[in-house]
Amino acid sequence: MTLKSLVKSVLFTEIMQGLKLTFTHMFKKKITVQYPHQKLELADGYRGFIVHRRYENGQERCVGCDLCEAICPAKAIRVVGDIHPEFPERRFAKEYTLDFTRCIFCGFCVVACPVNALSMTKEYAHSSFTREGLIYSKDQLLTLGDKCESESIAYLKVRNMWGAEDSGKDEGRYHFPPISATQSGG
Amino acid sequence: MAKVTVNGIEVEVDPSYTILKAAEKAGISIPTFCYHPRMDPAGSCRICAVELEDSKRVVMSCVTPVADGMRVLTESPKIHDARKTNLELLLLHHPLDCPVCDCGGECPLQNMSFAYGATESRFESHRNDEAEDLKSDVLVFNANRCILCGKCVRICDEIQDVHAIGFINRGFDTIIGPPLGKKLDCEFCGDCLEVCPTGAITDHFVRYKFRPWQLEQHQTTCTYCASGCQMQVETENESIVRVTSKEGLGPNEGSICVVGRFGFNHVQTPQRFDTPYMRVEHRLVPSSWDEVLPELASRLNAIRRKGTDRVAGLLSSRVSLEDAYAFQTFFRRVLRSNMIDTGARYGFMNAAIPLVEATGTLRPLVDHEDLLKAKVILLVGADPVAESNITGLFLKRAARKNRAKLYVVDSEAITLSTRASDHIRIHPGGESLFVGVLSEEISSRGNLSAEWLTRKEELFKNWNVDPGVFQRLVNDLKSAETGIVVTGRKMFRNENASRSMINMMRLIGSLGWIEKEGCGILPIPETANDLGVLMMGATHEWLPGLLDARNESSRKQWENAWGTSLSYGPGGGLEQILQGIEEGRINALITIGENPIGHFPPGSRVREILGKLELIVALDMFQNELVDMAHFVLPASSSFERAGHFVSIEGFVQKSVSTMAHWGESLPDWEILEKISYAMGNPMGFDSSEKLMAEIVRFLPDLSPSTRNGEHFVGGTGDIHLVKPLDSCGFANASDVKGVGGLSLLKASGSTPHKANRESVSSRFRSWTEMSRPIMNATSGIPGEGEFIFSMSKSLFHSGKMTLQDPNLKKIQPEGKLRINRQTARKRKIKKGEKITLTSAHGRCSFVVEPSPMVSEFELVFPEHFADAQVLALFPPEMAFSPMTGTPTTHRIRVSLSTETIS
Repeated sequence: MTLKSLVKSVLFTEIMQGLKLTFTHMFKKKITVQYPHQKLELADGYRGFIVHRRYENGQERCVGCDLCEAICPAKAIRVVGDIHPEFPERRFAKEYTLDFTRCIFCGFCVVACPVNALSMTKEYAHSSFTREGLIYSKDQLLTLGDKCESESIAYLKVRNMWGAEDSGKDEGRYHFPPISATQSGG
Repeated sequence: MAKVTVNGIEVEVDPSYTILKAAEKAGISIPTFCYHPRMDPAGSCRICAVELEDSKRVVMSCVTPVADGMRVLTESPKIHDARKTNLELLLLHHPLDCPVCDCGGECPLQNMSFAYGATESRFESHRNDEAEDLKSDVLVFNANRCILCGKCVRICDEIQDVHAIGFINRGFDTIIGPPLGKKLDCEFCGDCLEVCPTGAITDHFVRYKFRPWQLEQHQTTCTYCASGCQMQVETENESIVRVTSKEGLGPNEGSICVVGRFGFNHVQTPQRFDTPYMRVEHRLVPSSWDEVLPELASRLNAIRRKGTDRVAGLLSSRVSLEDAYAFQTFFRRVLRSNMIDTGARYGFMNAAIPLVEATGTLRPLVDHEDLLKAKVILLVGADPVAESNITGLFLKRAARKNRAKLYVVDSEAITLSTRASDHIRIHPGGESLFVGVLSEEISSRGNLSAEWLTRKEELFKNWNVDPGVFQRLVNDLKSAETGIVVTGRKMFRNENASRSMINMMRLIGSLGWIEKEGCGILPIPETANDLGVLMMGATHEWLPGLLDARNESSRKQWENAWGTSLSYGPGGGLEQILQGIEEGRINALITIGENPIGHFPPGSRVREILGKLELIVALDMFQNELVDMAHFVLPASSSFERAGHFVSIEGFVQKSVSTMAHWGESLPDWEILEKISYAMGNPMGFDSSEKLMAEIVRFLPDLSPSTRNGEHFVGGTGDIHLVKPLDSCGFANASDVKGVGGLSLLKASGSTPHKANRESVSSRFRSWTEMSRPIMNATSGIPGEGEFIFSMSKSLFHSGKMTLQDPNLKKIQPEGKLRINRQTARKRKIKKGEKITLTSAHGRCSFVVEPSPMVSEFELVFPEHFADAQVLALFPPEMAFSPMTGTPTTHRIRVSLSTETIS
């Protein structure tokens, strides 16, 4: 045993060094959040619950193209397409189910969506006592989307998916104008 | 031969080859849009561009013939640029609406754009914005997506010979569609839909309901008609979404008819029986297999104990070989009854018995390939396009591309009449007389007896047929290198059908066509497995393998094979069954997909006769008249749900696979019979359809699955697999076991396992035909003044009565319309869609009229599928059966027409 190590062990230098970090933190600002009383401010790109979006006139955007189902790595999405009951030339999703028990919140579906009908929100705390409670239908997704509209727009913008068709120009990849009573065909 | 180097690979090809075909031979694939292997090249899409190494020129490989020493590059920077530019030009007008396009995901244009990175165009233009043409009930035309490759127009013209669609307008405004902007009116084969490389043609039935990647594909055999088409049934979550075909696969080579392509929805309609029903106090109540089987078994056992031939059985001829084999085993071995018959009795039996008598086999002498090689084709009493669509396609090709002389003998103009070198318009029902005269003329080598000569002249005068045309036919038949007689439903349903078939055999016998390869007769079976159920011995005449059921030695053969003693009675067919029931000799009836009530006029008392039965068991999918009377209704699986083998018109034994889950508690017919036999304490011992087929093949090795190229198309997901060797199914190697009835099926030579062996046919043939003599006094089919002949035809859009339950086909043809000659209609001031009343000596019925230029002025034609009790009431109540073949003989009736409607 050398003299140096003897001094070290008698004077508890190592412990003091460790405690130094502890003591410095005593004088810093606290970062612990008292969830659920206190909530964090989330970034715009946060990948929370997926929602369905509508056009400004209230028409749902989803065209039932099934690309989200095709890309979903967790097989959480199921789309059943059909002819739109009012517009025989249009496709729409007759059924749309998103199983949040399987969803891994990767956001691929939002990327795949050609009409920006999907987006992600800052909702993360939806819980249920049953598994079925976490399998969302299209209506539920739309309701959630209405609730979190600004969040879903912010997500698309920050992820660079706020495309041409959203800003009203017609030059985009796909041309799917909102379905309104005065407008058909296209 | 020309030597061509493609990408450095040297191949030697025929000088008639194009570069594309030469590259194919070298194993190099060149992308194409407008090229189709069965059609003439068009060179319109410009995607198959290749570079000639020597001249550095870019040429279209699909239209450029090879030259000796040619060196071709299929991939080079120059070619890449050329293709990419072409794609950009194609995408000028093409809307990029792939996400909502039904073709998205299986679109060659999409794949090519992806491969060449041509998603954006350097050129500026407007996107087409035509509204979709939704007028047709079947197809949707989207002009925006069309790249004008012309494949649809060409397949409709060259392969289908229908000419229903064409190019409309010129230049940038060119679109594809039916003429004059009208609603599409065609055969609805859907081949254009199949070949379209984009989503320009899609169909209404599955529009927007699927995406290609959601579907699971099952390679299977169509079970509607006997063409034996190979098709792909595509399912999602165990329900059928659509049916497609694969280019070049199977006897159909990629074409399927309207019924095969669109008639799949009846198997998934809620009307289908999904559970067994039992009659309790005059009411059918839903029950379960566990309840039904012991009850049914004890009642059957009680009847069985009374003696032999106490239970009768009627089998649909749409079932598989396995079902038919189990059916006859169940009756002969378990129930000790030979009172069995099949749906073939209503028509095809008239051909089958003469064929088996004359040639000893039901295997055909000729197949579709022979039709293409034939120089003369005589078509008597058949409409192949409606009865066996693919045979029709081959006939069209033979007459059009191969310039075969096609003679059509029919009372009405059929689709093929337009391609015929001569159409001999006989009077309705005159087929037997025509064949009689023709066979007499040919076998007497032109020296007709005076009696026949006067008959012939009188006939031709009555029919208004030019004797010169007849002479031309006779000369052509005599001098033909190869010739084929095709016959079908109209012939089989003639009053003298069996005699006429004998005359036909006599005709081809005296022409020397029995010995000559490529010549012969091709009868078109009426349903998918007419040939198969007969080969399986599902009628009272034959044991499996077409052995005589009443012959002691053939019975011994099967006793040895099965290791049991057979003690069935003499048995009988439909006629004897109905008689036996009336006289109380038969106490129970088991039907499989058959409804005898629907085949006879209401006055014939079939319903009352069947009412005398102690027990009626109906295995069926849908409600019908017999089901209403039945004591037990057992839900049967459709052919989409179970595996089974079918014998096609060409003699191929092909497998149809299970593509969806059994509907409710339904079971395959063989399994139901097996369960009943087990409950009766006398199990047949069939525990899977594979073992059942293995047993069939073990005893009848001729019936091993066969296809033209030797490979077997068996299900799976889209791929073709070789069939499992049979010895892996628990039996000894098939070749070790000596076949039982193999001899009588006449095993064919190795290269053509589906066709009959010509040597054994010809050695047997001569001795028999001597006994036939044509009938002279048959009706010439001329109605009296103001009278018409009412007859029933097969519609192209339906198959039997089963497809009336199909929502898709019902949309295409929702109701039966009485077709009447257009001139007659005009003369009588009858307009399309009006109601008229027909009155026969036995009853009256009103019909909706459809004037047609095809029908003869003596005839009124109604599709048989829609013939309900009211229509059948026109026919005489007495049931008449042919003495030779036991088939019901009334198929035509004289009627008078009035425009008043019955209240």
